[in-house]
Amino acid sequence: MQNRINIDYTILSILILLGLSSIFTLYTLEPTLSASDGSGYWLKQGMWYIAGGLVIVAVMTIDYDRFHQITWILYGLGLLSLFMLFVGFPPGIVTEINGAVSWFQFPGMSIQPGEFIKVILVMTLAHVIVRHNSKYVEKTFKSDLGLLVKIIALSLPPMFFLVKQPDLGGFLVLAAIAGSMILVSGIRWRILFFLLFVSLAAVSLVTAIWYFFPDSVAAFLDKSGLDHVAGRFIGWLNPQETNGGYGYQLITAMMAIGSGQLFGKGNIQVSVPEQHTDMIFTAVAEQFGFIGSSIVVTLLFLLIYRLIYIAIQSNDDYGSYLVTGMVGMFAYQIFQNIGMSIQLLPITGLPLPFISYGGSSTLTYMLAIAIVLNVHSRTKEYMFETRWKN
Amino acid sequence: MVSKKKRQKKSQLPFRLNILFLIVFLLFSALVLQLGVVQILNGEAFQAEIDRTTNDYSETPVPRGKMFDRNGELIVGNDAGYSITYTPEKGIQAGERLDVAERLAEYVDMDSEEHLDGITERNRQEYWYLNNTDEAENLLSDQEKEDMDNGEQYNEILDRIDEDKIDDYSKQELEVMAIKKEMDKAMTLTPQVIKNEDVTPEEFARVSAHLGELPGVNATTDWNREYPYDETFRDFAGSITSESQGIPADQEDYYLTRGYSRNDRVGNSGLEEQYEGVLRGRKEKIQYTTDKNGAIVDSDIVVEGQRGKDLVLTVDMELQKKVDEVIHDEMQSAIQNQPHENRNLENAMAVVMDPTTGEILAASGQRYDHEKGEFTKTGTSTIYNANAPGSSVKGATMLAGYQSGVIEFGQQFYDTPIKIKDTPEKSSWKNLQWVNDLEALEQSSNVYMFYIAMRMAGEYNYEPNKSINIDYAAFDEIRNYFGQFGLGVSTGVDFPYESTGYKGSNPDAGNLLDLAIGQYDTYTTLQLAQYVSTIANDGYRVRPHFMKEIRNPVPHEEGLGPVYKSHNTEVMNRIQMSDSEIDRVQEGFHRVFQAPEGTASSHFGDKPYDAAGKTGTAEYDVYEDGQLKASTENLAHIGYAPYDDPEVAYALIVPHVGKGDNSEINHEIGKGILDAYFELENEDEGEED
Repeated sequence: MQNRINIDYTILSILILLGLSSIFTLYTLEPTLSASDGSGYWLKQGMWYIAGGLVIVAVMTIDYDRFHQITWILYGLGLLSLFMLFVGFPPGIVTEINGAVSWFQFPGMSIQPGEFIKVILVMTLAHVIVRHNSKYVEKTFKSDLGLLVKIIALSLPPMFFLVKQPDLGGFLVLAAIAGSMILVSGIRWRILFFLLFVSLAAVSLVTAIWYFFPDSVAAFLDKSGLDHVAGRFIGWLNPQETNGGYGYQLITAMMAIGSGQLFGKGNIQVSVPEQHTDMIFTAVAEQFGFIGSSIVVTLLFLLIYRLIYIAIQSNDDYGSYLVTGMVGMFAYQIFQNIGMSIQLLPITGLPLPFISYGGSSTLTYMLAIAIVLNVHSRTKEYMFETRWKN
Repeated sequence: MVSKKKRQKKSQLPFRLNILFLIVFLLFSALVLQLGVVQILNGEAFQAEIDRTTNDYSETPVPRGKMFDRNGELIVGNDAGYSITYTPEKGIQAGERLDVAERLAEYVDMDSEEHLDGITERNRQEYWYLNNTDEAENLLSDQEKEDMDNGEQYNEILDRIDEDKIDDYSKQELEVMAIKKEMDKAMTLTPQVIKNEDVTPEEFARVSAHLGELPGVNATTDWNREYPYDETFRDFAGSITSESQGIPADQEDYYLTRGYSRNDRVGNSGLEEQYEGVLRGRKEKIQYTTDKNGAIVDSDIVVEGQRGKDLVLTVDMELQKKVDEVIHDEMQSAIQNQPHENRNLENAMAVVMDPTTGEILAASGQRYDHEKGEFTKTGTSTIYNANAPGSSVKGATMLAGYQSGVIEFGQQFYDTPIKIKDTPEKSSWKNLQWVNDLEALEQSSNVYMFYIAMRMAGEYNYEPNKSINIDYAAFDEIRNYFGQFGLGVSTGVDFPYESTGYKGSNPDAGNLLDLAIGQYDTYTTLQLAQYVSTIANDGYRVRPHFMKEIRNPVPHEEGLGPVYKSHNTEVMNRIQMSDSEIDRVQEGFHRVFQAPEGTASSHFGDKPYDAAGKTGTAEYDVYEDGQLKASTENLAHIGYAPYDDPEVAYALIVPHVGKGDNSEINHEIGKGILDAYFELENEDEGEED
């Protein structure tokens, strides 16, 4: 029993269905993508899925308990790559695409460290929480506070680099990861509630300032290089007024999704920018309607449900934390990606996990799933202990 | 103990994971809910939005309707010119346009001076840029590119192109630039004329044969108005706007709601304006269906084009030319014979119409510029200009007298100067002594009319050198009677604007008397023509009109199509006076032209046609800054013929003839008009025989 690899077929099935949806949608998009966007994405995406499958096999062979040993190396490498992007070194390899410095461009392929840092952060925080909790068996208010500070201190550097790229979407995903792991880390409720209250107060304060002093806020954002953030909010609230800019993508996205109606119309009429990557959901919704898009949302939801189930089932805290981090990453990213195309949230650059075309992102998510499967396969089933009843 | 505690701590993990699950569940529920709103609730609206933005229309103009005279002679026609147009598709790039321009230059000559001189340095720079894009991009360093947006980069690159690079272009290349320049003016899906002057039939054929390789280019026919009679009747026909003027800015809404485009040519004066809706025709409307990339995937003719309907006018251009000539010649001889006396004689106007139908047969005006010594045709002044016509209104005054009961048939007055206390003496042209009503018209007695006016104002006891008592309501009463003949009111003519004349606003006794002899209010020539027609037509006032018929266009053929609508005689009112009273005034008018003592009999007494009418002279001095500059008169003439069965009526007025003039210009013009009319009638009859 110990040496048998216990594979979670539910997750694998969901993964295969999502992969097929992605490849099929990219295939239907092929004729409508303009020449400058390139072609053959469905085929390339298939290759990335196969590469991701190999990643899963590779990761499964290592006991996840041994990840502890490489945590700091990975974290260091991740930060280093982000720092290189930040300073633009080495030039020629670091390139700007769509106004953001997020890529190492190698001949034949490009790598987006901002994707991998998500998984690395999950692993780092899980490691730190486990080490902290085993050190402070008797938890005190002070020790909880110490843990909170550690988590925040480790999250902030990569978040800073992502904002500077600028990659607002990636920044928010890291925040979601940190948030979900803080929730399960065992820090007492009092601190959590206080944290929640402070965040809400900060958001309200920023909103109020923006509402009452729009000009000085705009001037401040302009000076600090964050004016694109404001533009996105304005585009979200008044898409028609900013039709030429941020509003345009939202309007076309809504038009594509809305016109799909209940059953979809089987073809694509509306051209949405970035339709093969961040805006792929519009292609699903337009062609396959509410029914098609609901199926995709349901598949993604089932995946997260399964992840949480595995986290609960795991009798090892480290495993639970790892999976929880992945839950935070996936859940937020799905909600943000779909939500931004139906005017629930402002538009930020984020792929829809497993569906959007993208090498670095697909590999990252497969890596995440590999870790989850690893945790699952090494969960020991105790006949007489069920944690449920305590 | 330790292990139990540990387990208790650990038990928090599933609970918190369940909270995380709850949060995830809520977020996903929100997604599905909003998806439902967007796709199911608002889906149709979004689809409608897509359908709306992917259908575009293009309209091709059709030729405007023509105008013919009553005999079918063309007055306003269309000069068909070939035209090469360009209609860009959505999102077409500058480079693609250049390709089209280069190919088009092989088939079309653009080497006129106007085109070649119009090529600016900027055009040359842009041409060089498009042909040497890589080299051009190198004119800017990477650093500079980073600092500028695309527009700034483009402008900076153009500025840096050396002059010697763009100096030495061949004629063929310059022609390409000229074509490209016109193409760049085009707006998406709107045809832009590339060349429409002097397109030869060969060019037209060459382009037509190669339309397949010239996306967006079309070879069409464009129309310009042509006027076979040149200036004759031109100002009545009116004008249309040019393509660059388009629809008048102040009436933009009016036209846009009626399906016009901004660059449509519309009638902006005269009959072109009056009958815009008839003449304009129906544009061919093509619906283009474009896919999301802007490429045209389908085109359909939604509305079949039809050229405008034709107008057949009531005028007889031969008569019109002759009336123009008569007025011109008489004015010229009067001015040449007595240049100083007639130094203020600048205008003469006449209207000829059928008194029973209201058809305007000719309407003519001449203006003489004393400084340049030139005549111009100003026919519309018969509608726009009002003058005091003098005694010619006496027919209306007499009928007002009968109707109001202040005189009766055979009533006599002693014609000697009238002197009201504190006012200047007023008299007839000579002291006529005892005159009855017929003699009063025949010899044009002012005094007789003064008595009618005083009696209508309630004064029956005039005595010389005493003031009189008058009821000022008589002004309105007389004007009301005059209005029944069309004097001082709208004639109802089918023209965009007409003057109704000036009504004096100073009601005193002297002015009342002047009103009765046509020396107070002013009237247009057309009003006078309607007035005399009403008397000739036994009291029925008909609406004067220029439009006789509207004809449907005949496709691809010259000549007139079937009648779409014709203008029926329209009686506006019957004057209140009885038939016998009207007969009496007709008899008076007849005596003016035929009786030995009649003021016009020396001119008309021995004519083969039996005419009736009235002369008129109004003292109408020329003042400048309150100083009398010259003593002049308005000479008027109204008449109709034949007396028994009138078929033609006319009115004419010549303002500011010198008081010492002896040309009798009004008699001469009146005679010339009737002579011309009957001469043409005899010619026609001769032809028919």
